[in-house]
Amino acid sequence: MALESLDRSPPPFFRVGFAPLTKLVFFSALSLLLMFGDMQLQFTKPLRAALSTLILPVQWLVLQPGQALNFVGKHFQSLEQAQENLKAAEIKTLELSARSQQVEQLKFENQTLRQLMGLSSNISTPSQAAEILFDVPDPYNQRLVLNKGQVDGVVLGSPVIDAGGVIGQITRLLPMTAEVTLLTDHQQSIPVLNSRTGSRNITNGDMLEGVPMIELKFVPASADVKEGDLLITSGIDGVYPAGLQVARISHIERRVDISFARIHAKPLAELQGRHVLILQPTGAIAASAASAASASTKGKAP
Amino acid sequence: MIMDRREALLLPVSPWFIAGSLICALLLSMLLSFSQALWMPDVLAVCIFFWGIHQPRRVGMAIAFVLGLWMDVQHSSLFGQHALSYVVLSYFAFSLHRRLLWFPIKEQMLQIAPFFILAEAIGLLIRLSTGNDFPGWPMLLAPFLETLLWPVANFILLAPQRRAHDPDANRPI
Repeated sequence: MALESLDRSPPPFFRVGFAPLTKLVFFSALSLLLMFGDMQLQFTKPLRAALSTLILPVQWLVLQPGQALNFVGKHFQSLEQAQENLKAAEIKTLELSARSQQVEQLKFENQTLRQLMGLSSNISTPSQAAEILFDVPDPYNQRLVLNKGQVDGVVLGSPVIDAGGVIGQITRLLPMTAEVTLLTDHQQSIPVLNSRTGSRNITNGDMLEGVPMIELKFVPASADVKEGDLLITSGIDGVYPAGLQVARISHIERRVDISFARIHAKPLAELQGRHVLILQPTGAIAASAASAASASTKGKAP
Repeated sequence: MIMDRREALLLPVSPWFIAGSLICALLLSMLLSFSQALWMPDVLAVCIFFWGIHQPRRVGMAIAFVLGLWMDVQHSSLFGQHALSYVVLSYFAFSLHRRLLWFPIKEQMLQIAPFFILAEAIGLLIRLSTGNDFPGWPMLLAPFLETLLWPVANFILLAPQRRAHDPDANRPI
């Protein structure tokens, strides 16, 4: 059958294929099965991985016009603004250098104190830099796509940070890319420590008047929480290393009729640059360290 | 019979044009989706519905299903969500295709609007039942904008069939 001649041939009278209703039922059942598989059984993973590798160059192509416009726009950014940025960056560098000089001394002091008290030393976290490709085009969730994936050795569940603080966690791993769910997504939680009082809490993403924030869960109305308190990761979850900056408390609402306070915090992650850092989950590092230790003792024993 | 449709006799459609238009709609849909605007109309859905009406033997539910899976990976949504809404859209296009073209374009728009709303509702229902929040009211605009795109689709996608055919040795006129 030549491709152009189909319109001039009569429609098939006897072999018309399946009835439309049969096809509808078949494809609906297939997509429901795929949805169920995607949610519960994860058997669609290879299919999604293959399709996502196929789709990536197309996505790259589609994003080019916007990025070109962005580049041109940045090129014509006024000189004044560039000088202002430079000034701000210099001031920030000075502030940071003062702190970083102290850090060396504090680190040494901390190590000696830990040795004195017999605590195991902090494990340094291996990390790798990645680039943000684009926001996931899904209005229901807040996710980003990074340019590192399974091929680069990224692990599912890894924390992701930028210059400001924790951004989120890797929730979907594809061969060439990885998806980060932001802390402000309503399905994402992180255990935090209030750096002023030392109380531990768990947070959830939440929208406050259209602004993505994180909400502290299950804080009694009488708890000691003030606006401006810094929340850092507590390190007891086996995922996030301790001491990373997460958010600063910005809204507190205490009501008489509810025994919990409604507390919102503004995340400190800047999300302005293109580069982020993917950290190894601390649980994985501890496990590999433990297995290495056991291997070395086994080697020594006989 | 065809003259009653208030439409000049059309040239046969080129399958390459159908494929090209679907690919263009797919790329445009991907580009627009990066804006993350809730009211953004789904150009690909309009294109699938259009070819489902005009060429039901060419663009059917299988193509709609595959394109839906592609959009699911693009949106990183549940695998099969867009596929289901496109398949339903394609089915209703098939069941409508004998009737719809007898009406003038404004009445066509009135008749197809419910199906775009249905397709949007299927997506919303799946998201709500899997634990997502309602994203916001602007999303109700999307099906109406898709309906408004119908005359545009009619103009663009039928343009190659409306041009005068080129005469050759067998057809001198």
